[in-house]
Amino acid sequence: MSVTSAPDPVAEAAPARRRTRAGWLLAVPSFGWTLLFFLVPLGFLFAYSLGEIDIITFQVHWGWTLDNYAGVFDQLYLTAIRRSVLLSVGATAGALVIGFPIAYYISLQRGRRQLLLLLAVMVPFWTSFLVRTYAMTNLLGNGGPVATVWGWFGGGDLNLLYTPTAILLGILYSYLPLMVLPLFVALERIEPAVRDAAADLGASGWRTLRRVIVPLAMPGIVAGCILVGVPATGEYVVPAILGGGKTLMYGNVVADQFQTVGDYPFGAALSMTLMAVLTVTVLVLRRAGARAEAVT
Amino acid sequence: MKRPSFPGVWTAFALVFLYAPIVVVLVNAFNKNPTLAGWDGFTLKWFDAAFSNEDTVAALWVSLRIAALSTILSLALALTAALWGRRASRRWLTALDATTYMRIVLPEIVLAVGLFVVFRRLDVQFGATTVIVGHAVFNSAYATVVIQARLATIGGTLEEAAADLGASPLRVFRRVTLPLLMPAVLVAGLLAFTFSFDNVITSAFLAGDSATLPVRILGLIRFRLTPEINAIASGVMLITFVSFVLAIAVVALRGRGTTLLGVRLRRAQG
Repeated sequence: MSVTSAPDPVAEAAPARRRTRAGWLLAVPSFGWTLLFFLVPLGFLFAYSLGEIDIITFQVHWGWTLDNYAGVFDQLYLTAIRRSVLLSVGATAGALVIGFPIAYYISLQRGRRQLLLLLAVMVPFWTSFLVRTYAMTNLLGNGGPVATVWGWFGGGDLNLLYTPTAILLGILYSYLPLMVLPLFVALERIEPAVRDAAADLGASGWRTLRRVIVPLAMPGIVAGCILVGVPATGEYVVPAILGGGKTLMYGNVVADQFQTVGDYPFGAALSMTLMAVLTVTVLVLRRAGARAEAVT
Repeated sequence: MKRPSFPGVWTAFALVFLYAPIVVVLVNAFNKNPTLAGWDGFTLKWFDAAFSNEDTVAALWVSLRIAALSTILSLALALTAALWGRRASRRWLTALDATTYMRIVLPEIVLAVGLFVVFRRLDVQFGATTVIVGHAVFNSAYATVVIQARLATIGGTLEEAAADLGASPLRVFRRVTLPLLMPAVLVAGLLAFTFSFDNVITSAFLAGDSATLPVRILGLIRFRLTPEINAIASGVMLITFVSFVLAIAVVALRGRGTTLLGVRLRRAQG
């Protein structure tokens, strides 16, 4: 390594400036990529959604029409939208109810045991999403384990496969780890002293949970609901496999417009509507989370 | 022994719920009974049938190639972005974080159809390249988050020391920053590889004739459920599982403060 001579102020300043300019070069790949392959496609979709399609040549013409958006309010599409929202909300609520005790239990553990439990929750998440969804078909079908257990309790024939219930269970199953992780992060941050203080002041276990732990875990709850609820609303794979092509969700309806129908402007309008609905949902959820945090 | 608590019992049940479907697929991949109604003995014939199918093997190679290339691309995009973000002004950092967050949260179907219409309009040939480009959009965002989390923990002291000792910026990066970031880079890479290898929606829209393995599996599932699918699915699980084990090994061996999807994994103490 060379020994540097006495510092020369001019030479000192030059590399610093060069470094900042080189620093800006570092920003180019990511922002460029995002612009070209993320923002431009979204802009294209928006422009398409205002355009028209020639029904004979299937050429898209630019335009300023809102007809495509009016078409979204057709009963057929409204049903798919309502179903997507209901299934997504149901699966998110289910994941929250099931995931909270898990995350709470893991947050109470220490050391190696905590790490192993976390890994146990994450292994399925890292396992192929497609395979996990497919795996549910083995369980939900006629004569499968779920139907068998149902029979033990005196239930009649049960074939959940290719029903909305199957889709809800499939989403719940696949997204559960995504709910547990942020909940765990939030719950782990709660000092045991806070819990002890609540108990010392005479609060019952239930009351401590409701008044102390849940409010403190609110940022994790909001994060988990966003991580599960938002992608679940646009879900494509789960309904394609567990809905058997009979029960469609928003994602399938959008895909259909591009893959089979070929009405790009209308498909673009459907996509934009989905984005708008989800953006509003995320903003509302984040505001709710921020307010809950401010109160506590 | 402590009395089992409600959350403990609940967690045990949930873990059974999480693993049961996966185990059923694995077991049935070796099940002789073609209707899978019961266990008829051990066989490897489904694996034989699945992996002697030329289309399946071709799709597997396409998937592996796409996953490898889009991972490298995503890492390059994420590394430059994260390094830049460290020195960026508050406003620009917000812009970076916002675009990263948007790429993660936006429903994948919207991105897929968006890229589809753009490439279609510009007459770009659909194939492995377009899929790689598409996967890099969201995978680079995940990788950015992982690498940023690690960068935040290492601080700038060592790099400043190296610079003071006369190392050029490139040398500082190669000899100090990159080694410190390596665990995060590896974890981010394995995550990107897994997500790309497993991707259905973007691949389905952008692959053209070069169908990836998940796209082919989806087609097979929709056509008819056969025991062969269990064998292919087991193979896919094996690949993603190996990538997970590697990621854990990296975290356990190298980085005691690396985050995995926002969860800090520390080396277990005691």
